[in-house]
Amino acid sequence: MGENKIKAQKQAFAQLSTQEKMKKIGDLLLNNAMYIIILLAVIYISAKVPAFLGLSSVVNVISLTAAKLPIALGIGGCIVLTGTDISAGRVVGLTACIAASLLTTTFKVFPSMTSAPPIIVVLLMVLAVGAVVGFVNGFSVAKFKLHPFIVTLSTQLIVYGVILMYLKNGVNNGQTLSGLSDSYRSLITGTLFKIGNVAVPRYVLYSIILTVIMWIIWNKTTFGKNMFAVGSNEESANVSGVNVARTIILVFMLAGMMYALTGFLDGARIASANANTGLNYECDAIAACVIGGVSFVGGIGRISGIVVGVLLLQIIFAGLNFLSVDANMLYIIKGLIILVACAIDMRKYLVRK
Amino acid sequence: MDRMDEHEKKAGGRGLYDRVNISVKTLNKVIIALCIALVGCMAFAISNRGFQVDFDSLGGTAVESQTRMYGELVEEPAPPTREGYDFDGWYMDRDLTTPWNISQDTVTGSMTLYAGWNQ
Amino acid sequence: MEKQKTASAAEAQNSKDVLLRMEGIVKSFPGVKALDNVSLTVKAGTVHALMGENGAGKSTLMKCLFGVYNKDAGHIYLEGREVNFKTSKEALENGVAMVHQELNQALKRNVMDNMWLGRFPKISKWCPLTSETKMYAATKKVFDELEVNVDPKTVMSRMPVSQRQMVEIAKAVSFNSKVIVFDEPTSSLTEEEVEHLFRIINMLRARGCGIIYISHKMEEILRISDEVTIMRDGQWIATRPASELTMNEIIRLMVGRELTNRYPEKDNVVGEPLLEVKGLTAAYSLLKDVSFTAKKGEVLGIAGLDGSGRTELLENIFGIATRKSGEIFLHGKRVLNRNARESLANKFALLTEERRATGIFAIRDIQANTTISSLWRYKVGPFLSNKKLSESTEWGIKAMRTKTPSQYTQIRSLSGGNQQKVILARWLLTEPEVLLLDEPTRGIDVGAKYEIYQLILNLAKQGKTVIMVSSEMPELLGVCDRILVMSGGRLAGEVDAKNTTQEEIMSLAAKYV
Repeated sequence: MGENKIKAQKQAFAQLSTQEKMKKIGDLLLNNAMYIIILLAVIYISAKVPAFLGLSSVVNVISLTAAKLPIALGIGGCIVLTGTDISAGRVVGLTACIAASLLTTTFKVFPSMTSAPPIIVVLLMVLAVGAVVGFVNGFSVAKFKLHPFIVTLSTQLIVYGVILMYLKNGVNNGQTLSGLSDSYRSLITGTLFKIGNVAVPRYVLYSIILTVIMWIIWNKTTFGKNMFAVGSNEESANVSGVNVARTIILVFMLAGMMYALTGFLDGARIASANANTGLNYECDAIAACVIGGVSFVGGIGRISGIVVGVLLLQIIFAGLNFLSVDANMLYIIKGLIILVACAIDMRKYLVRK
Repeated sequence: MDRMDEHEKKAGGRGLYDRVNISVKTLNKVIIALCIALVGCMAFAISNRGFQVDFDSLGGTAVESQTRMYGELVEEPAPPTREGYDFDGWYMDRDLTTPWNISQDTVTGSMTLYAGWNQ
Repeated sequence: MEKQKTASAAEAQNSKDVLLRMEGIVKSFPGVKALDNVSLTVKAGTVHALMGENGAGKSTLMKCLFGVYNKDAGHIYLEGREVNFKTSKEALENGVAMVHQELNQALKRNVMDNMWLGRFPKISKWCPLTSETKMYAATKKVFDELEVNVDPKTVMSRMPVSQRQMVEIAKAVSFNSKVIVFDEPTSSLTEEEVEHLFRIINMLRARGCGIIYISHKMEEILRISDEVTIMRDGQWIATRPASELTMNEIIRLMVGRELTNRYPEKDNVVGEPLLEVKGLTAAYSLLKDVSFTAKKGEVLGIAGLDGSGRTELLENIFGIATRKSGEIFLHGKRVLNRNARESLANKFALLTEERRATGIFAIRDIQANTTISSLWRYKVGPFLSNKKLSESTEWGIKAMRTKTPSQYTQIRSLSGGNQQKVILARWLLTEPEVLLLDEPTRGIDVGAKYEIYQLILNLAKQGKTVIMVSSEMPELLGVCDRILVMSGGRLAGEVDAKNTTQEEIMSLAAKYV
């Protein structure tokens, strides 16, 4: 059936005039400009540094993708609601700090503690923290109709303040938390399996599980359908009997929990946590979502798109790193990537006059 | 026919782009310009590639910065000196917790190395 | 005969009193030809009516004139000179003005600010500050000319729509416009205000202005206009002197065929009372003390002017507007209907008036649009079943006879009538007992209207109660069993659809105005 469709499209294309053909091709090129640029960059980089396509580099890119995926899956929901969430990175930082301060061997933040609590307790704790921040975001957006940008800007600041104060607690004096307990580290960064002699870390598996769960939530539940409905037209959703406020709050809470999981993974992955952990993660996540076709137009987006978006971004960043491009320059490139992705996204949904 | 009247209405339902008022032609130009900027930026970044490794001798004699490529070793500089102290190697952080093994560790980004001193 | 003029310059001797000539205008949108070689000639000192059904291309033609759209082909001559306006501002400066149906005004600002927006008078050449006194005097002068009794310092939002419209007209006059387009100017005016408007139009005509008057109201057109141009499906159909036309003739030209059998046979059986509304008063709108009963299997119409509280009545029953007092009984049991979810559970359904704003999810597919209100039906365990979702959607498409390539088509690519059918299917899947339909046939072409009527009557036959608001009186008379008439937020009366007349309904509708 799919083949027939392609055939039909080919036929339709063949019937067009030259001018229309040019227009179609132009449309195609512009709508996929982002992918084309990334593809060309990857070809260039692998020609220049063949090691980029080596096994360890590929596994590295996949691990990085897995680490950044949960936060993007969370933000994706907020973007489907035509909103966004710029508090994400700080929530990652806070939860990473909480996990690193409790699952440690030094207990600098809580000097009175002597042994680490069970990992599952800490996990539930960070999930709760993420959910609370998400609830504040969602409640303000749903009930006060504030723009998500403003709401999450303020929660971002609040959470940052909390991180700084948290790190001052005990005898830590604002320093980087390290010396994490082995059980925590091995649970997350332990070897899942080996390809050749390159180890694939466990968090890749966790990330895949989270992706599957999110896919089910988005596609197979009432909540998911309601989320897309609210995103595409809030008024219609309300008239159709959707509990709009509850849906918005739940989307933000779910997102908050995904950030918390990112933080939980990140603490162990980096083996330390400080006030700058998670900084600007939301930028990568938003960029990944937009590249992956989660549109700011609202009500449009797919989990598979987000995965592809995160993967593409990590590929390009890892590649540029391979080429020894300085981190300062990467910021500028990241910013431009977001702008291009948004412009292309806008182009797809522009009302033509 | 009715479909058009619907299109004409500036009703809601287009999210952040609800009030976008730009023609496709203009937007095409903007996209092309942005793409050129992006590619240009990458080209500039690649032509200026290299990570800068700075040395902070924390009170000792100054050590010159180096530019290294991804995966390369840092070239061992002449050890700095400081009156009353003995130099005991380079560290990745100011708190001197993680030592930098100059003959093994490879560069993966711009960084600053800090000198460790023994009294 | 108008057509033969196209592209020929043989109009030289006539061009003196021809103000505006649009020739062979063509405009296409993706997939549709919106205007196909349309021509229009407006002479000085005349009122030229432009008529046609919804979507006939009237507003597209005007938008081509004002540069909102670029025309694909054709020429526009203003006083013999070819013009091609890029923006409506440019058009205004060249003496072509439009009084919009939907007023685009800065409501928080006062009258004179709105009139002089974008061209505020300066105190003097040397002092670039705006001059309030000059502005006030100039506004007052125009208002006096037009006999508009409004203080130029009144804030826009405090004035009724009719007065805001007068300001819009005054603005057009203040530009010394030669051609003024009125787009459905009387849709929100009372009879008295319409008289005032006509006095103003006559005055403008006497001054030598050319007026293009777009309206659906045939009595008005026959009264005020000198010439009538009729359009259908984007094509020019006829231009005749108004004196030679009759209402039936206009309808025939507009529709292209005689309209017999516009409504299906009524064979629904009215049963026991089902819904009872007592003393419904809204908290934030003019709706006041409305009580009525609707019976099983009945189609109950609600008539009234725009702004008479018809939509508010439905919204209050459905619970998406805040109620101040009043009770609703279904089967004799009181229901609260505090929000849409509760109403849905109580077997109510509401088809809203603004299909695009509050009805469809434009970028979602038919399936998502159909199933959103009844998701609980498709659950298997905690998850939704794709099979059940698509089965129900398929049923909806078949039952409504929706024309769509597949259920995965985006709803925005369907025509208005088919969109309406999808929303109807959405509500039918919730198995409602009371259907509240607000302007169910607005913006739908004639053929699809007939199908919607059929659907409504079928629902009534299945024993459901249908309450239907409509601005088209013949539609109410043709489809409903009883008609409630609203006026000024109150119930002005109830009439039997079989033996009432439009005149009776109209007089009731004006009762509390």
